[in-house]
Amino acid sequence: MSGLTLATISHAFAGRRVLDTVSLVIRPGELVALVGPSGSGKSTLAAIAGGVLKPDRGRIMRRYARHGMVFQQARLLPWADARDNIGFPLQLAGMGAERIAARVQAAAEAVALRPDDLSKRPDALSGGMRARVAIARALVVEPDFLVFDEPFAALDPALRRRMQDLVLSLSGARGFGGLFITHDLFEAARLAHRIAVLDRQGRGITGSLTPPGAPGTRSEATIFGFVEKTRDDPLLRDLVNVDERALPLEGACDISGFRRCC
Amino acid sequence: MMRSMRFDPGLIRARQRERLAEWADMLPVLAGRAAWRIGPPLIGIALFLALWQAAHLQYGAFILPSPWQTVAATVTALSGLAGWAALGATLARVLLALGLSVVIGGGLGLLSGYVAVIRAILAPVAIILLGMPATAWVILTMIWFGPSHGAILFTIAIVTGPILYIGTVDAVRGRDRRLEDMAASFGASALARFHRVALRQILAALGPVIGIALALGFKVAIMAELVTNVAGLGAEMARARAQMDIDMALANVALAVIGLLLIEHLLIRPLQSRTGHWQRPDG
Repeated sequence: MSGLTLATISHAFAGRRVLDTVSLVIRPGELVALVGPSGSGKSTLAAIAGGVLKPDRGRIMRRYARHGMVFQQARLLPWADARDNIGFPLQLAGMGAERIAARVQAAAEAVALRPDDLSKRPDALSGGMRARVAIARALVVEPDFLVFDEPFAALDPALRRRMQDLVLSLSGARGFGGLFITHDLFEAARLAHRIAVLDRQGRGITGSLTPPGAPGTRSEATIFGFVEKTRDDPLLRDLVNVDERALPLEGACDISGFRRCC
Repeated sequence: MMRSMRFDPGLIRARQRERLAEWADMLPVLAGRAAWRIGPPLIGIALFLALWQAAHLQYGAFILPSPWQTVAATVTALSGLAGWAALGATLARVLLALGLSVVIGGGLGLLSGYVAVIRAILAPVAIILLGMPATAWVILTMIWFGPSHGAILFTIAIVTGPILYIGTVDAVRGRDRRLEDMAASFGASALARFHRVALRQILAALGPVIGIALALGFKVAIMAELVTNVAGLGAEMARARAQMDIDMALANVALAVIGLLLIEHLLIRPLQSRTGHWQRPDG
């Protein structure tokens, strides 16, 4: 079974400390949502968990064979069609063409991509289709752990809900664990076994909340009730009330990438 | 039953008629599109030739030969070995020098794009070189190397090199680094990230820069050949000027344009469409 431990992780960009001794344990098969206000270092932690960044200090213990990662904005190769985008991680691994084709087919079916969508380039796909391709690309490596970095933040509410349903059904069917970065409490309460809250200045995890029941079994009323109740929780004070104008200027999130983003 | 329907000659003929009717319906649309694509450039060319002819009628053949006279002189130039040799010599020099520029300017550009210190060191050098007039380089290389093949190659390379350098630096810095982060999350090494993700974007951005460098290289080659009198289209122009042969001078200009178009369409455009097709909406 899959699990991840991030122990006393610290990281700085250009001398500015973004994460300071952050520790988070994700148990095997557990999907943990990480919430926190803009500029708190959520995406940096996701990048560290996904192996994109090496932390300045701290240890990462991965108890799984392979992970996949789904990013905010699908990050598809613009010159490649959906089929090649999904197969990209396997091409990197040097897998043979026939095996890649079979795995791509299976991943595309898992996210309900139609065969005619597979020959389209990203600019010919809708936002929802691009998100599906990005999820299929993460699934194609047959991961036992998934890192989601606000993957549906740019989608409209109806589409976001469909994508959440897709994640729920996939995690139910495959039983992978994961880290889901979001600033949407409803999304966190819908998808995760547990919600971890990151300090507004990245100085550790301030606490965890556990919605009742298991993901996929919670009714809308349960989710709504949980969110309404936890809004007043002191843990979420910064998430609910933070004024982004009060953040230092260099803390403002830049979407151009991890090295330029917190 | 299905088989008999498939091979029914009447049905096949009906389908063929249907298809022909579809084509007939589409014909005006296709003709309109073709006219819209080809028409405006043809009008431009006709306007240019009309102005040329009008100027010829105004100033006479001694000052400006007619378009037809120029075509005839171009055909004459290409009917002998000398014309082809001059065109070939200039083309070969431009390609060789451009290759050198791509290797040196592009190589340094790649390095500078990735390493900030090298970029900071080379920035003023690139700006100085870019600001130097091409004519100055022609004179300097004449003094340094004498009127030689090497002098012309050096001149073309030193003029186009900084353009390729700056283009490459911009291409490296303007690439989408988030794609490399994505590749890193799937375990791509630094080398794999470069050649599978970054290089593709850099080459696509470099296509137009190489086109500009080629056009400039051609102009510089002809100018340098004209000054140094080393075999090529420029030297042929110098000879035509010395003999006051305006027909031949214009024929060499036409050959230079033909040479440029040949390289552009046989080399640069295919390269651009191979590396940058994904940047066009209909690519």
